[in-house]
This record gives sequence, structure tokens and C-alpha cells, in this order.
Amino acid sequence: MKPGDPIKLVAELLDLPIMDKDGRYCGIVDDVELSGNAGKKMRLSALLVGPGAYEGRLPRWAYWLTRMIAGDRIARVPFAEVDHIHTSVHLKCRAEVVGLHTVEDKVRRMIPKGGAL
Amino acid sequence: MQRLLLIAAVLVAGCSKGPEADLQYISKARSLGAEWALVNEQSNAGKLTGNYTRTMREAVREQLKTASSSLTQPNSNYAREIGALMAEPDDAPPAQLRAHADKLKQIEDGLESA
Amino acid sequence: MTAVGGFVDISELVFAAKAGSLFGYALIWAFALGTIGIIVFSEMSGRVAAVAKQPVFNLMRHRLGLKLGLLTLAASAISTLITCAAEVGGMGLILHYLTGWPYLAMAIASTAVLLASMWVLPFKWIERTYGLLGLLMISFAAALVSIHAPWGKIAGGFVPHVPSGLSTKQMLAFAYFLVAILSAVLFPYETYFYSSGGIEEQWGPKDLATNRVTSIVGMSLGSLLAISILANSAQLFGPANVGPEIPGSAALEVAIPFGSTGLLLALLGMLFAVAGAAVETCMSNAYAVSQFFGWEWGRHKKPWEAPRFTIAWIACFVVALAMVLTGIDPMTLVEYAVLFSILVLPLTYLPLMLLANDRKYMSQYVNGRLAKSLGWLFFGIITAAAAAAIPLYLLTSGGQG
Repeated sequence: MKPGDPIKLVAELLDLPIMDKDGRYCGIVDDVELSGNAGKKMRLSALLVGPGAYEGRLPRWAYWLTRMIAGDRIARVPFAEVDHIHTSVHLKCRAEVVGLHTVEDKVRRMIPKGGAL
Repeated sequence: MQRLLLIAAVLVAGCSKGPEADLQYISKARSLGAEWALVNEQSNAGKLTGNYTRTMREAVREQLKTASSSLTQPNSNYAREIGALMAEPDDAPPAQLRAHADKLKQIEDGLESA
Repeated sequence: MTAVGGFVDISELVFAAKAGSLFGYALIWAFALGTIGIIVFSEMSGRVAAVAKQPVFNLMRHRLGLKLGLLTLAASAISTLITCAAEVGGMGLILHYLTGWPYLAMAIASTAVLLASMWVLPFKWIERTYGLLGLLMISFAAALVSIHAPWGKIAGGFVPHVPSGLSTKQMLAFAYFLVAILSAVLFPYETYFYSSGGIEEQWGPKDLATNRVTSIVGMSLGSLLAISILANSAQLFGPANVGPEIPGSAALEVAIPFGSTGLLLALLGMLFAVAGAAVETCMSNAYAVSQFFGWEWGRHKKPWEAPRFTIAWIACFVVALAMVLTGIDPMTLVEYAVLFSILVLPLTYLPLMLLANDRKYMSQYVNGRLAKSLGWLFFGIITAAAAAAIPLYLLTSGGQG
């Protein structure tokens, strides 16, 4: 599926994994941003990635717990950066360009490099 | 008189609950006795390593201790039998250990059919 | 590792030996039935991985949604963590029998070796090391041949039946063992590990035949080893009134015909099979969490290339060891692992069925009539088993009677 094709948000997009142009996993489609208004055409403007995007999707107590553990950051991935969608969302760009992979890179600094074959 | 009969009925009900509740520990002790006998038999035949024999005997004793301390009827005939099993030395003859296990099996079968 | 570590773990060792002693050959069919089920679901999960190019947990969240997906993740993570702790405890016990050194020290040593081997070795070598060494479990099958087992009775055990003349208590215990065996054979971590392993090995549609053969042969071999343990127990332990209560007693099945060499082979086989299962459960949890949240994952990458995945599997081992160090009886961990697992199974296998039936993801490789029928049949069986698990556990005091 290409951007521009009609899409079923829940069945074909929400909660799919996201891979950047280098084939690296960089999150899940946690929510979507729509542009338009009631009575007007709705368009997908961005994918929202991060625990902050769970707010509308979880009960209040569950979101509170999530925020305690993982924070409430949200990365906004403009829909124009999506190349195609199948069993995952493939981006045209590297993850860092759209603010993804930042936690992975921070955590990487904690892992010693060495010893692995 | 009626009060005495009521107390007696409660006591009897309480007593008959005890052995039933202890059935799982009797069964466990029976199995442990039989395992101990099997370990000693195979060890006497030179089929086991020293470490294995020692650690298995230790495990049997530890579990027998747990089973014995879990009994609700510590003065019962099966509690005495388990005590006698625990009093056996580590290298007790297999036949002796099996005799305890067989006695416990008889008690177990008797309680199950009651 | 699919056959041995994925199949013959501490739970199967314990339940196979007990089932054989208590009920003779009557529960062989439970292993056979569970094996068919795990073959069906493994093949499906491997096929989803090869065709959709996504492991099961990635797509599970997409099918279930966030709320139900989080519930499935939490339930399966807890169940798999308890199983991992049981395996670590099992390794500690087996090393204790081998060396005589203290059990808890051996559990710590086991965890250290597992951590080191998973850090250093790439995925292929992790599989080969634990998988091949676990094949020493074949000593149990050799023991069965050497004690001139009644093959007619063993063959009869493959036919589903309930032994006659059982009391009500024994019937309940039989039912409990049936549910426990199905749970132990169909542990959810096996499919998560298997499908993620397929991605690690970069399976594609050309590997579907490999997937089918690996599922059938691997699981069948594991099942035959577990059935050997059961049959040996029926022949040697049942008539001797041995439960068995101590996990180390299973090794006697090989010591009796083959002496101390057989004992050592059995203990080493058990050690590596249980170690393989410890690795699988730990990696399965790390895969599930990483895939659910979209982190980098995989042991085909160096540890620092998938940092959160690395921390996840290290954390899993550390928590599992902490559970063992509380002093909880490893057999209690085994009971809880089996109980929690059966409760989670319907949640695990339903999204897999939905995915494998979805032509949008699977194109021409979608479930055929046989896979669909068997899949839904086994889904029905595990749902019924899940409903019966807790009542049976309580009524039988965990199979003790």
C-alpha cells in the first residue's frame, strides 16, 4: 500500500511496526494525527510514536503507570516520510531525521562494546 | 447429653479431616522412601556416582522433614512410620526402606478407600 | 534446540516421570496430542515469519490492539519469566547432583554461564551449542530399549483413553496431569522463539519446506524423548511405588540399565536441555517486549546494536535468578509455570490463527483447510484446558491427590 491510497486506520495501520530506510526497527504506530474538520475531507498528516500517544487508548490508571515507567514523549512522523505500508510501515528516511531511535541511541551508550562474536 | 453428642460429632469430624488432609504428605513420604531405597540399591550395585548418591539422600531427608512437619496429626500411626523412616541411616538397606514405604502405601490405600 | 530445549524442559521432565509412575502408559496420548498441536502452531508461526517477514508478536499487537495486546504481553511475560526461573532452578539442581556443590551457588553459576554464552555467541551458535548437547537426552530412549519395555502397551498408550477403575480422586488427578502435559508441551514461549528465530535466520517463502520439516521433526523428536521418560518411569518407578518427588530421580532411568556412565549422560543431557529451555524462555521474553514496543531486536546483531533488547534478556535472567534465590522450591516454580502458561495459551494462539488465516498478509501461503481445521480444533482444546486448569489444581493440590 502506498501513501495516497485509501487506508483503514485500525485494520491496516495502527500498531504496525515502523522500519526506517536502513531496515531498522524504530517504533510502533501508536496513534495517528488527522487533518481536516467535521464535514471536510480527513487526511492522515502524521504517525505518532511513543508512550505519550497511549493517552487516548488506555484507561487512566494504565496510562499513569505507563508514564511513570516510560515517560510521555511523542515523536511525530510526517506521513510524507512514509514510503509504503505492508506488514510494517516503511519510511523513506533514516529514523533520526524524524526524531525516532533516540532512546535506543541513549541506551546504546550504556552497553559495553566487546566480546561478542 | 445433646451438647456432648454435638461436641463428639465435631471432634470426630475434625479427626476424620486430619488424615485426609495428611494424605498428600503420606503419599509424598511413601514415594520418598521408595526413591531412597532405589538410590541405595543402585549405589550398592556401583551404578551411581558419590555426588549423586549423597545429594539425592540429602534431598530425600529435606523433603521428608517438610512432609513430616506439615502433618496435622503428629501422633498418628503414619506420623510414627514417617518418623521411623527418617531415623534410618543414610546407607540403610534398601529392603528396610522399602518396608517403610510399603507400610505407608498400605495406610495410604486404607485412607483413600475410607 | 527446537526439539530439545524447546520441548524437553524441566516441566516435561517432571510431569513425564510423574505421569508414568502414577498412570503407567495411559498419558502417552496426552504428549502425542500436545505434540500435534505444537507442530500445527509452530509451523504457522514459522510461516507467518517467512511470508509476512514479521515475527508473531509484532503482528499480535496489530491484530489485538493496544489494550488486549498489553494484557497478552504482560500475561505471557509473567508466565515465561516463571518458566525461565524454573529452568534456572532446574540447572542449579542438576549441577548440584553432578558436582555436590550447593544448589544456590550452582544456580548463580548457571546464570553467569548463560549470560556469557548469550553475549558472546551469535544466534546460530547459541542454537547449535545447546541443541546438540541436549541430544544427550537420547540416552533415555536408549534406556527404554535396553530394559525391554512392553512395546505393545506403549503403542496402546498413543490411543486416547482413560484407565478404568480409577477413583474420583484419581480421575481428577488424571485430568490435572492431562491439562499440565498439554500446557507443558504447548508453552507459548516456543512459538515466539521459533518465529523470531525464523526472522533471525532470514527465512522467506523458499524456506517454507524447511519450516515444515523443522516443526514436524524437531517437535516429534522432543516428544519421543519425553515419552521415553514417561515409559521408563511406568516400567521402573510405578511398580516400585516411586512418585518420583525429586527431579534428580529421572536420571535413575538411565543409571539402572547403563550404570554410572548412563547416569552422567542422563544428567548432562538434562542439564543442556534445561539450559536450552532457559535460553529460549529468556530470549522469548526479550523478543516479545522488543517487538511489542518496536525496539531493535535480534541476536543476529551484536548486543550493542540492539541495546534495549540486550537489556531485556539480561533483566530476564537476573529476575529469574532472583526468584530462585528466594529459596522457593524449583518444583513449585514448575507447577506455577505450567499453570500460568495454560491460562495464557488462548490469548497467545488466537492472534496467530487470525494472522495465518489472513490472505492480506499471507497471500497464497494462507492457512489451507487442514491447518485451519487443526488450528481451530486445538484452540478449542486449549481453551477448555485453560478453563479447567485452576479448579483441577485446587481440587488435586497440584496433582498430589
